[in-house]
Amino acid sequence: MVNDNDPTQGTPPTNADMELSADTMGEVKRISYAGLICRRFFRSRSALVGLAIFAALVLLALFGPLICRFDYAEPDFTAIGLPPGPEHWFGTDGGGFDLFACVVHGLGRSLIIGVSYSVLTTVIAALVGVGIAYARGWVERVGMWIIDMLMVIPSFLLVALFVRSASGQDGWLALIFGLTLFGWIGYARTLRTMTLSLRERDYVRAAKYMGVSPLAIIVRHLIPNLGSILIIDTVLGVIGGINSETAFSFLGLGIKLPDTSLGYLLSQASSVMITMPWMLVFPSVALIVLCVSMQLIGDGLRDAFDPYSRAAGSAEPAEIEEEAEL
Amino acid sequence: MTSYMKYVVKRVANYVVMIFIATSLTYLLAASFLNARSNYESRTPRPPQASIEQSLDAANLNDKTPLWERYTRWLGGVVQGDWGVSPTGRPVASELAGRIGNSVKLLAISAVLSVVIGVSLGVYTAQRQYMWQDRALSGMASFLLVVPTVVLAILIVFFAIDINNALPVKIFYVTGLSSYSGDNIFLAFLDFLQHITLPTLVLTIISAVGYHLNQRTYLLDEMHADYVRTARAKGLTKRQAIRKHALRASLIPTSVGVAFSIAGIFTGAVMTEKIFAVHGLGEYFINCINNNDVNGAVAVAAFSGVCTLAGALLADLFAVALDPRIRMS
Repeated sequence: MVNDNDPTQGTPPTNADMELSADTMGEVKRISYAGLICRRFFRSRSALVGLAIFAALVLLALFGPLICRFDYAEPDFTAIGLPPGPEHWFGTDGGGFDLFACVVHGLGRSLIIGVSYSVLTTVIAALVGVGIAYARGWVERVGMWIIDMLMVIPSFLLVALFVRSASGQDGWLALIFGLTLFGWIGYARTLRTMTLSLRERDYVRAAKYMGVSPLAIIVRHLIPNLGSILIIDTVLGVIGGINSETAFSFLGLGIKLPDTSLGYLLSQASSVMITMPWMLVFPSVALIVLCVSMQLIGDGLRDAFDPYSRAAGSAEPAEIEEEAEL
Repeated sequence: MTSYMKYVVKRVANYVVMIFIATSLTYLLAASFLNARSNYESRTPRPPQASIEQSLDAANLNDKTPLWERYTRWLGGVVQGDWGVSPTGRPVASELAGRIGNSVKLLAISAVLSVVIGVSLGVYTAQRQYMWQDRALSGMASFLLVVPTVVLAILIVFFAIDINNALPVKIFYVTGLSSYSGDNIFLAFLDFLQHITLPTLVLTIISAVGYHLNQRTYLLDEMHADYVRTARAKGLTKRQAIRKHALRASLIPTSVGVAFSIAGIFTGAVMTEKIFAVHGLGEYFINCINNNDVNGAVAVAAFSGVCTLAGALLADLFAVALDPRIRMS
């Protein structure tokens, strides 16, 4: 708070007076909610590190193919099974494929699959979960029953069925489709539970009696009030998508030749890891760094949205430096 | 007590219907997507057409038979306890029975270890929030939480082989569950330990970090509750207040979570079993999908569905038994 005491006044000014006078003098700058969240997010050093790493990985996935002389799909028969060196930065595999090109391409695949899976499942889960909670009555009961029933079927099998029927270059699209189709179910259930208290709020009832359509209430009033949770879960959901891609491709059920992905590279590496350890190290490091960066961003967002967290900072200017480390 | 029984019976009846519909749906999807015909057609030399049709019909996998007809024939078998045969003609049920044991051996050990280790670490770190022990352990846990299972398992295999190579004797085996065929019980047990250590390590890490972070959150929530402050105000030390009050309440959600996952020890761990070549249910599931084995895949799916719902029921009963705030309705 700015020290703005007017010595001519007998009684000390109240907080409201001080705020008003500060406003008129232009000493207080008001910021929007999004601006506040951003400021709190950027206050956290680990979140910044996460964001920087993530940005670097995205740039690598976008421009890596341009700076690399080799294509992930074209083997260099003069260099088979080479360790990392000046020619092939990450080495080559037993077929002469440049590992840097493959890792960069796989990184792009993992990013696309992780992000689109996460965004799509969040959208579907929010619409379904909030929708059935708002509908109440038999719609809610039937909806919940169907969701519970779908959770009984191992989604692993269903995704594998869908992805297997696609082949080659379209595998990654089928993987996104399959993962999304069965990935929203558990999440919708959670969101429905969260909506239970939200649907009793006065503004929802007011909107309803003013004749606002159910869809508009869901999209305009209910979902935005779950906004912080949805944003955090979307960021953390990317990790889940990347994990699934790796697992399916590793098992030979996801992305296959002629396409390549980090999971596929790992499955190749698992048979030659003693003789060619670089084949294991680079894809593993890429995956770990990618997942950890997403987690740092997600944790930073969670703290930024949480009004009780230390990211809110403190009024004492001296302590801010220390708080930011926590 | 009667309301308790009525509740359980109602739940179970609902679950039976649920499993029936879910399994039927799985069968219809699997039967329309998996095509066992290619298994026979790709054989060299290619068998005569009539023999292919005959084998497909015998296994009830012929895609020329209408889907509904295959489904009713399959259902007729299931009702009598016959889960059908694989494309090679082996009964699914005997295959399942042989593999459940391996999955249980692997998963039961890691389930016990991960609960004990995870919960203790959670309690330990919650009491030292923001101190270096908490920073180190919880930071480690949230790192391990996001490392993909495949990467974790492969890296552990990689380092284990390095250790083996550095030492004169082979300590870790990275495939299967046993390779000793003598009569000495002690040596057989030692051999089993050498095989099971690594997959158990992977599975324990995966689930222990979850228990650790959850237990830490639960205990921290309870530690800041009003009744703990009351207990402190009445003169209990911080340690006493936590042990007698906060810890007990924080164990309720944990034990519900444990109850939910107990049933999972029968269904196997897909990735870990595949990487360590443990012939359990998870590995069988993948083999079924890769070999177009509709009956096998559906049987595993149905079995894991039963386990999931058994876990859900167990979790509900645990919650009711432990948490006095929850009443039967």
